[in-house]
Amino acid sequence: MSLTTLAWLVLLFPLAGAVVIALTWRLLPWKAHGWIGTGAIGLSFAAAVGTLIALQGRGEEDRQVVSVAWDYAETSGVDAQLSILIDPLSVFMICVVSGVSTLIHLYSVSYMASDRGYTRFFAYLNFFVFSMLLLVLAGNFMILIVGWAFVGAASYFLISFWYRRTTATAAGIKAFVINVLGDVGLVLGTYFIFRGTGSLDFLRTFEEAGQAFSHNDPDLVAGCLLLLVGAFAKSAQVPLHTWLPDAMEGPTPVSALIHAATMVTAGVYLIARMHPLFELAPTAADVGAIIGCATMLIAASIAMVVTDLKRVIAYSTMSQIGYMVMAVSSAAYAAGLFHLMTHAFFKALLFMAAGSVIAAMAGVQNLDRMGGFRRAMPFTFACMVIGGLTLSGIPPLSGFFSKDEIISLLFERGDWHVALGVLGYLGALLTAIYTFRMIFRAFFGEPVPEARELEQGHLFHAEQHTNPATGEVEDTDVGFPGPEHHIAEREGTMKVAMGALAALAVLGGAVQIPKVNESLHHFLEPTFHDSRLYEELAPSGTAIWIGMGLGATLGALGIFIAYTLWVKRPEQPARIRERLAFAHDFFAHKWYFDEVIDFLVVRPFAWTGRFAANTFERVVVNGALVDGTSVAVRAASAAVRGVQSGYLRYYAALLLVGITGLGAYFLISA
Amino acid sequence: MTIHLSILIFWPLALAVLGGLAPRRAAPVFALVGALVPLGYAVLMLLDFKAGGGLQYVTDDEWIAELGVHYKLGVDGVNAWLVALTALLFAASAVWLMLRPPVRASLFAVHFGIAETAVLGAFLAQDLALFVLFFDLMLVPFYFLVGQWGGPDRVAAAMKMVVYTLVGSLLMLAGAAATAVLSARGPAELTFVLSDLARNPLPESTQKWIFVTFALAFLIKMPAFPFHGWMPDAYRTMPLPALAVFSGVVSKVAAYGFLKLVMPLFPAAVADFKLALLIFGLASILYGSVQAFTQTNARLILGYSSMAQLGFIVVGLFAADAAGAGAQGALLQAVNHGLVVAPLFFVVALLVERAGTEDITAMGGMAVRAPVLAALFLISALATLAMPGSANFAGEFLILLGAFEAEMAVAFVASLGVVLASVYALRMYIRTMHNRLAPGVTSVDLSLRDAIVLVPLVLCIIAFALYPQQALRDSEPDVKASMAPVVQADGGAAAQTAEATP
Repeated sequence: MSLTTLAWLVLLFPLAGAVVIALTWRLLPWKAHGWIGTGAIGLSFAAAVGTLIALQGRGEEDRQVVSVAWDYAETSGVDAQLSILIDPLSVFMICVVSGVSTLIHLYSVSYMASDRGYTRFFAYLNFFVFSMLLLVLAGNFMILIVGWAFVGAASYFLISFWYRRTTATAAGIKAFVINVLGDVGLVLGTYFIFRGTGSLDFLRTFEEAGQAFSHNDPDLVAGCLLLLVGAFAKSAQVPLHTWLPDAMEGPTPVSALIHAATMVTAGVYLIARMHPLFELAPTAADVGAIIGCATMLIAASIAMVVTDLKRVIAYSTMSQIGYMVMAVSSAAYAAGLFHLMTHAFFKALLFMAAGSVIAAMAGVQNLDRMGGFRRAMPFTFACMVIGGLTLSGIPPLSGFFSKDEIISLLFERGDWHVALGVLGYLGALLTAIYTFRMIFRAFFGEPVPEARELEQGHLFHAEQHTNPATGEVEDTDVGFPGPEHHIAEREGTMKVAMGALAALAVLGGAVQIPKVNESLHHFLEPTFHDSRLYEELAPSGTAIWIGMGLGATLGALGIFIAYTLWVKRPEQPARIRERLAFAHDFFAHKWYFDEVIDFLVVRPFAWTGRFAANTFERVVVNGALVDGTSVAVRAASAAVRGVQSGYLRYYAALLLVGITGLGAYFLISA
Repeated sequence: MTIHLSILIFWPLALAVLGGLAPRRAAPVFALVGALVPLGYAVLMLLDFKAGGGLQYVTDDEWIAELGVHYKLGVDGVNAWLVALTALLFAASAVWLMLRPPVRASLFAVHFGIAETAVLGAFLAQDLALFVLFFDLMLVPFYFLVGQWGGPDRVAAAMKMVVYTLVGSLLMLAGAAATAVLSARGPAELTFVLSDLARNPLPESTQKWIFVTFALAFLIKMPAFPFHGWMPDAYRTMPLPALAVFSGVVSKVAAYGFLKLVMPLFPAAVADFKLALLIFGLASILYGSVQAFTQTNARLILGYSSMAQLGFIVVGLFAADAAGAGAQGALLQAVNHGLVVAPLFFVVALLVERAGTEDITAMGGMAVRAPVLAALFLISALATLAMPGSANFAGEFLILLGAFEAEMAVAFVASLGVVLASVYALRMYIRTMHNRLAPGVTSVDLSLRDAIVLVPLVLCIIAFALYPQQALRDSEPDVKASMAPVVQADGGAAAQTAEATP
């Protein structure tokens, strides 16, 4: 099969899966839908690998292929076609996305088994994968925006999956609206770029950009900044990040797939894809790098104090994406994408392990209620530790290489990027602390009753489930959470999925080890051949080894600090919290972003709406304009005394009859 | 010279009258045939349509010789898809009415037939006087539909609607007469035929005041902010199947009027008043959106959201960018909005059946046992908020692009409306379908008779989303031609200012 056929198949399998599942929801037994969904994504992954092989079979100059399905909205100089771009970057992305998705589907087959919305879940999940693949394969801005919005919608469907919970529907609309804000940024950014280049097609845009825009052209900077709005909304960078922690209302596999491994990294992909534009508009790129750095630190600080297990990982995701955004904005493209890949492995793994713990706790996510699961759940524990060590950057796990690659390239870039590198090390230390804080609190210490019961071979079941956020009793009749829970220790498919991800997290670093094996860098080269900085940025040997040593030391130090605080001296954290009450409150309130946005945006709009509905409509629209018109009509009718009978309604009826009669007269006379 | 268009226009009226005379049992069949035949006709015509082939299926008879009024009809790129949309929505409503007959069904059907004839006539008329006639005829059936079949306060609402919109219509009538009289070189050359009028442009000062009469009529009809005073009352009380076509196509006649009449006839005035109309458009977008996420009556949410969508159409038309993206997007959006808002009104009818109220704060949780209804509602809701991937997005993309090229600030303000649309559309969906089942609300899935109406409409939305290209290809040459005088006048004005500045 040809390269383009394979690439279209990558897209078609998940779409077909979603449609088939949706249309056969009553015809097939529910269990079949899980396997249809998993199979569709598996086939998509196979096609992605086929695309990779076919692409590598071509010459290096020949590795950017555009394939057009049909004209989409070609008019008035707008060249919007349904086209895909197959190049190393998009092929890299489809392999990561479809590969991780296959494993998460496999995990969900068991994890969601007792959920009444099983079929709906897999239809949504397949639709999501289709959207994500469309996003990364898009060959022009129009299709990129379509994929961009589709993943936002899929994310909304899945955040609100347990739609009986008011917290889930509120989180859903919040995520959706912020994502639409991002879409609008993308659209407006596209206009700025389109105005210069006259094309929506990526390759043509990049070709034209050099002539159309001067260095740091204000139009291009504006365009790129607006693209960044899109990237930040999708990738949960400050200040557009507030939806991501709330998105943890969705089922855990959703958090693993969408809100950790794939969708939230779309912003990183976007910046990498648009690198010719960002290199022409370095001011915009600098903004990206600074915001990425700020997000990295802010999120890490919040992750230190959050007590919800999934939210710790969510803030960690934000923080790690901060690293990636910082990297691709500083022209360390391969490093950013490398971290994107390893992060997809270990963060999906962490979420899966967390899901297993939450299932053992019968839905409870609060770290304060957990403890001592180490003996009861050895497999989950092992996976969590592997994920945690990888996240903390302990050699020779994959996260170690990818994070150090980013930081060393920041130093290599020089100037103020050095400061970003230093802060990157600070972030690495914080990462190790909050990660192991979470692991020690969930798995060490006295076993909680749930863990005890599990040690004796029984899975804990709550008498009734309550929503942790509101205390509301859950409605188990439909949807969440189903009477049964599934933990990795007892489910083969969950074990396979987690085992595979653990192996990838451990070994994934092998594709890019500085001075040893730089295959990822070389693989991506055809996409970045026009980048001035791609080849230039290569740190020297000693710098690499010093950097790696420092990174590993900080990671180990962080784990040691966490061990001291939460295992050796468990009374210590409370004392620190007391002494630093102000900082703790500030972090625990998530830096008050929600409150500020509520005050600045939500409330003024709500107030305007109430004013419009209650006052303005009555006084101006009805009072001045409608009544004014009636008065005018009445006055006019009073002027023609002879005809008018004193009542407005008769006058109007007369007009009506008059016009109809006039029409009839002309009809007949014709 | 063909008779096809006359058949298309008067078929619904003829069948409705026959249905009124026929025995009561047969009346719904007459109404259905009355609506389905035009749909078939319109679809065939669309398939046969040649993009850029000028006016097609022309009928041209001298009607009132002494006034120069012609009975001239024709299909071009501007109206082809709107005609098809009209036929589709009326057919859907006719099916709905056959399966859920209202009281005095045959009389209802007569009014419905008149309405379809009037709307089709307005779209197809190629003579100014004929257009005005059909435009005013549209009001008659809806006056009775509101006044006799409406909910509480129907009489007051009907009066308000009629008086308010009639004032606009009368202004337009005066404007139309003035256009013909003033552009005629002598009494012998008096003509109302559009193509002839466009050839003899009026002096700019005359264009200006005539433009105001037309603009007022159309802005009231749409309705646009702040001329929408009649809308809430009429929407609150109009029977829902009538409201589906009213909101779906009647408001589009006004948008169409701008594109088909105002642009070619008063280009200089358009160039002068461009900014004012853009501001009316923006105000409609913002005000409509803000109201739509505040109102709790499902009908009003859709009513105000339509106002916002029509605001986008106004912005697209009056952006008058040189490439013509704005106008193209506006026309596409006119079709899109009709295609999306009609199923939404049917959905509202189903929601009201299940909840016994129109207040969305008293609804909730209806998705539980109604997954098909929820899915159809969700697709329509996402289309109405112009989610990328829907044809509505293609329309909005072009509109905003046009606005961006013409006045960048307008595009930025209008894009706020895109964000707000996601708030009101999802708010409505979540409040009705999600969360817990509210007391007194039942969750029952779509019955077959509802599915017959809703599923084809939603399939049309999906098909149009996958391939909006055909509509754009068909309309591009004629939309360009319609906008050309404006672009020229606007360019001239811009050049003058540029010369004056240094």
